[in-house]
Amino acid sequence: MPTGLSQSQPIAPSVNRRGRNWRVLGLQFSTLLVLVFTLIPLIYLGMRAFEKPFPEILDLLFRTKTLEVVGSTTLLVLIVVVVNVFLGTILANGLFFVQLPLARFLIIPAILPLAIPSYVFTYTWLAIVPSLSGLYASAFILILTTMPYVVLANLVGLRRVDTGLIEVAQTLGLTRIQIFFRIVLPQIRLNISAGALLTGLYVMSDFGAVSLLNTETLTVTIQNMYKASYDRSAAAVIALILVLASVVFIILEEKFKGKGVRNAIARSYSVKNLLISKASYSITILALLATYVALAVIAPIYVLVSRFIGNPESIEYGDLFSAAVSTISVAGLGALIALLLSVPIAIMSSQSSSRIARSAERIVLVSHALPGVVIGLALVSLGSKIGALYQTTLLLAFAYSLLFLAKSVASTTASLSQVPAVLKDVAASLGKSKFKVTTLVTMPMALPGIGLGALLVFLTAMKELPATLMLRPTGMETLATQIWSYASINRFNEAAPYALLLVLIAAIPTFLLSLPERLESKDNKIEIGG
Amino acid sequence: MQIQKKVKKIALLALSTALGASLITGCSSSGEQASDVQELTIYSGRSEEFIAPFFAEWEAESGIKLNIRYGDSAELAAQILEEGKNSPADLFLSQDAGALGAVAAAELFTALPDDVATTIPATYVAANREWVGVTGRARVFAYSPSLTTLPQSVTDLTAPAYKGILGIAPSNSSFQAFVTALINEAGSAAAEKWLKGLKSNDVKIFAKNSAIVEAIDKGEIKIGLVNHYYTWEVSESLGREIKVDNGFFRTGDIGNLINVSGAGVLASSKKYSAAEDLINFLTSGKVQEEFVSKTHEYSLLDGSSAPEGLPSMTEIGAPAIDLDALKNVKATQDLLIKVGLL
Repeated sequence: MPTGLSQSQPIAPSVNRRGRNWRVLGLQFSTLLVLVFTLIPLIYLGMRAFEKPFPEILDLLFRTKTLEVVGSTTLLVLIVVVVNVFLGTILANGLFFVQLPLARFLIIPAILPLAIPSYVFTYTWLAIVPSLSGLYASAFILILTTMPYVVLANLVGLRRVDTGLIEVAQTLGLTRIQIFFRIVLPQIRLNISAGALLTGLYVMSDFGAVSLLNTETLTVTIQNMYKASYDRSAAAVIALILVLASVVFIILEEKFKGKGVRNAIARSYSVKNLLISKASYSITILALLATYVALAVIAPIYVLVSRFIGNPESIEYGDLFSAAVSTISVAGLGALIALLLSVPIAIMSSQSSSRIARSAERIVLVSHALPGVVIGLALVSLGSKIGALYQTTLLLAFAYSLLFLAKSVASTTASLSQVPAVLKDVAASLGKSKFKVTTLVTMPMALPGIGLGALLVFLTAMKELPATLMLRPTGMETLATQIWSYASINRFNEAAPYALLLVLIAAIPTFLLSLPERLESKDNKIEIGG
Repeated sequence: MQIQKKVKKIALLALSTALGASLITGCSSSGEQASDVQELTIYSGRSEEFIAPFFAEWEAESGIKLNIRYGDSAELAAQILEEGKNSPADLFLSQDAGALGAVAAAELFTALPDDVATTIPATYVAANREWVGVTGRARVFAYSPSLTTLPQSVTDLTAPAYKGILGIAPSNSSFQAFVTALINEAGSAAAEKWLKGLKSNDVKIFAKNSAIVEAIDKGEIKIGLVNHYYTWEVSESLGREIKVDNGFFRTGDIGNLINVSGAGVLASSKKYSAAEDLINFLTSGKVQEEFVSKTHEYSLLDGSSAPEGLPSMTEIGAPAIDLDALKNVKATQDLLIKVGLL
């Protein structure tokens, strides 16, 4: 899921036609529209923050507390990102290259934790270890929560790795470690970097885990400003610091990933020939996977199931069913809107290094670091002025798409730009316009990646809580709001069926996410045929 | 070209779904006369589990349908502030006085007429009648029956007898409301001294009131500062009796603070009288008694009985506190940060 792969190989200049200009204009216009949408929360923050007199803003910015919180937020992001990049990369590469029993199914439990909201992780882990508290506890929970981002990002990259190069390296006598660092890593560095980016932004925006574990991050401070002093302007000032922090993080990521090496053509050899069948490798990977699955899947599900069984109250199946239906339909609509919004940005940035597309992409990423409550309030502020739209499923779905657009844009852009440049050049040299190259060659090949982006949005939107509480139609409950409603009065037993159903429903798209791996080995030839 | 068609199709589908969705859900809140009110929109910071049966009772009585939006009191207050005059809410029911105070300060509540909630004593009504208290929640010390020396005042808790066995939840709004009252009563310096005393007495920090009660039940600590109803809540959630009792400090001690949940009618509402009728219902003698027996809260009515096993409000001798003054806890938070408890 790399982002910002904006360069593409030069395309043979084609004749200027009026139709083409019109289309380019259309594309630019829709990108601009998306840009306006993504700017809504930032404009809202700016307006709220500068309601405060300037000296007060400065006071807030430079008080010791703020600096401490910036420090703890940075530390938390660093720990989670570094650990996840290290372990997630090992895990993903192991699952991809090492001979394992039932390998294709092993990916599912490794990304299933995506389905478990961080607050459910925390509640269940607190049931096991009640003394869990502080920065390292938060890091632990957030590592469990976000590992799938890095694993998935790795896998997306690995599926496109030029295996021919690996074979050449093998015949030249390079060791496996050397092959990994010299051949594989450079090809998937962009993907890993994107996974790290999503992880870091997620950690910045998380509220569930850190608040329950008494770790004050910027997001917790923002929430406290609303809750304790009802000071929306102060909250907005702190949120602007969060925006700044995410900008720094995004720039660092861009610097770190550099240009990267992109494979020129899709791989031509089956990965089967390259599988490592060595017991020590298999055992290491299986042990790593087993540990992760035990901590991130079995432990929470065990607690949920035992709560579920221990529940003395009878379950209201009607409520459960209607919560599930609203969860699926709003999250689905949100994923669809995110997909539609991400396409123009992705096409623009995969075609050329358009400045609008690039800035839209960056703003999308910045919004991803904002806590749900900020996006929620921004849309409350705007939406309540448009009565007919306010507190409708449509506005809630739109909020989801704004919150999670980064996931969709990242994977759409990545898949569009991973289409081999050779194919685009061939099409262009045959006299196809840029637009036709995109619609006839690039888009069909990029579809699986685009679908993956939409699925990611769907998965995350199902778990979303703060914006859902504010923007859902009055009276509508989702699985997440029901879990919250019971957990807030300590009725964990009664929350358990909703949490289990959420995990169960989310397991379906998670299963789909692991599918391309299986399809690809069959469809490889078709894909190259275009 | 096929892709283009597909994209168009998807876009059309999305648009029609969207339009459909907004048609279904978007037709609320239009200007109506108070006489033909069909529906009322409530923002409720009280949990559905506890309050929904009361709402259902009123719906049946009045024939008016309630659209209820459950959420966190403070977040709902922030939402109402953000909505301003455009708020679809007619009535806001909050867990605590602080959130009501914030909405009142933004002048978004209408003053309630004198004939509304006549049963509620003036202590539990905002100065300009923008909101009224609905139920009372007493601050108590929850303790293990094995604890032999019970404190007479919150100030006793800094004594060596409570070293390492006391639990508090400083990030919790009910604890902060109490510290605010302490600052208002005894002054900032005294409050700071007390908090520092707790800290050097190795006070145990918890994220939530319920966690304190659970820790006492498990024997990890012996005593903790919480609201009175958490012993029931934890016992009900565990589905068994717990080894935790509620205790009160001596009469008039600031540690016996009584905070309220309450309600106000939004100025932007066009359905004042229906909303006021609901407030009258919630503050009526019959419903107040049900709050005591069903949700273990205190009735605010004079001479009402207490939740099972607890002293009545007059017996507690709650300190006289201006609940309006509990709204701004910024100074409290700054103090908690200063002494290192937040």
